[in-house]
Amino acid sequence: MSQEKRFSDEFLNAFVDNQIAAEEKSRAYVEIHQDEELNRQVCELRKLHDLVQLAYREPPAPPVHTITGSNSGRARLRFGVAASFLMTLGIILGSQIRVPEPAITPQAILAPSTVTPHTSQVATAASSRQSSLRTNPNKTKVVAKTAPKQLAVAPTANPQEVTPVATAVAPTELAPVAAQSEISGNAQTKVLIHLARDDNTQLSHALDDIEGLLKHYREANLNARVEVVVNGGGLALVRTDTSAFAERIQRLQQEYDNLTFAACQNTIDRLRHDKGIIVRLLPGVVTIDSGMAEIMRRQNQGWTYVQV
Amino acid sequence: MRKIITMTVLAMLAVLSAGCATMFGDDKQKVVYHINYDDEKQLSAALRNVNNHIKAVGADKLDIKVVMHGKGVTLLKIANTNLDMQQKVIGLKKNGVAFQVCNNTLVGKKIDYKNDLYDVSKADIVPSGVAEVAALQKKGYAYIKP
Repeated sequence: MSQEKRFSDEFLNAFVDNQIAAEEKSRAYVEIHQDEELNRQVCELRKLHDLVQLAYREPPAPPVHTITGSNSGRARLRFGVAASFLMTLGIILGSQIRVPEPAITPQAILAPSTVTPHTSQVATAASSRQSSLRTNPNKTKVVAKTAPKQLAVAPTANPQEVTPVATAVAPTELAPVAAQSEISGNAQTKVLIHLARDDNTQLSHALDDIEGLLKHYREANLNARVEVVVNGGGLALVRTDTSAFAERIQRLQQEYDNLTFAACQNTIDRLRHDKGIIVRLLPGVVTIDSGMAEIMRRQNQGWTYVQV
Repeated sequence: MRKIITMTVLAMLAVLSAGCATMFGDDKQKVVYHINYDDEKQLSAALRNVNNHIKAVGADKLDIKVVMHGKGVTLLKIANTNLDMQQKVIGLKKNGVAFQVCNNTLVGKKIDYKNDLYDVSKADIVPSGVAEVAALQKKGYAYIKP
């Protein structure tokens, strides 16, 4: 375990948090790439880092000051009355304002007077696309590369929330996504499909399911986005050298622009280290840092999760 | 003075709880079980999971839907001939579990739901199993893949 001497836990943590000097970092990169055990350690730390970021999406509440002094009882009581009044008011207002789910109709989105739902649309797209999607050079899809790391510190977990930065980026960066939302109304239905097993019969059924789902949404005139996350054995589906369904995937992507295939970078890295396989992905397949992190991120953004 | 304040607080609380009750409706736990495999043991185990879920929480506090598509439809095919499986399905239905079948699968596999499947009526058929699983989650159903 010589690497443990070379790199302390503190160093690795700092490395994952991106808080070390450039030359140190490049040295660490070389070492990590050469050492499988170390690589795995860094990978674990990264995963943990992701999870922590997810868990602390909302900033922690400021410490509550305790009221001291002779009139603390009355102050507390007054505070209680005010708080319960506000809560009641909030709940009554909330129940009044509550509207049925398809609140934003496609017409409303296209109407110039209601720009807000549309921008929130794009913001959603921006925040969801932002999750470190990198495109395969073969096909350039929309990438919000310049979108700042906004998501982790967004005030609420609600993806419909308009973040000012995302709005600012939207018009130029995300035009194609905006166009896409206009074609099919509002993005209300977002489904993540998770494939983790390398079994061609099963994958074939999964593609049937995905196609059926997309067809269903199209026929129902529902604007939906479907993201297929492949990791582990499931990666075989989108590898040029192993996929038994390359043509079908190509056709599905052409037919449905609301469909994305996303491959787990951790799996790709693992294949390179364990088996020396240099993974090439089918055209249009994007990569995500970690399949598991993506699944959790998406669910936090209001996507539904289905394992087929 | 203190009495008035106490009364006010109590009144607020009453309104608040009333508000909560109307907002959240019934407090049933909503769950969707997703089945798309045809291994008999696995299917039996899945139904056992559902049954244990009901035993733990209580049928009156649960709203469970079992959505089957692809190979998962085999569950009701087996129940057509295998009495053990049939009893399980009957028991769960008695406890208010809804079994839903994907129409895409019925069409794709040319399954006649009246003859090939156990106790399926038109109301049990959904256009797309996967879409139904997604839609139910949107409506607040928790997703379980047993």
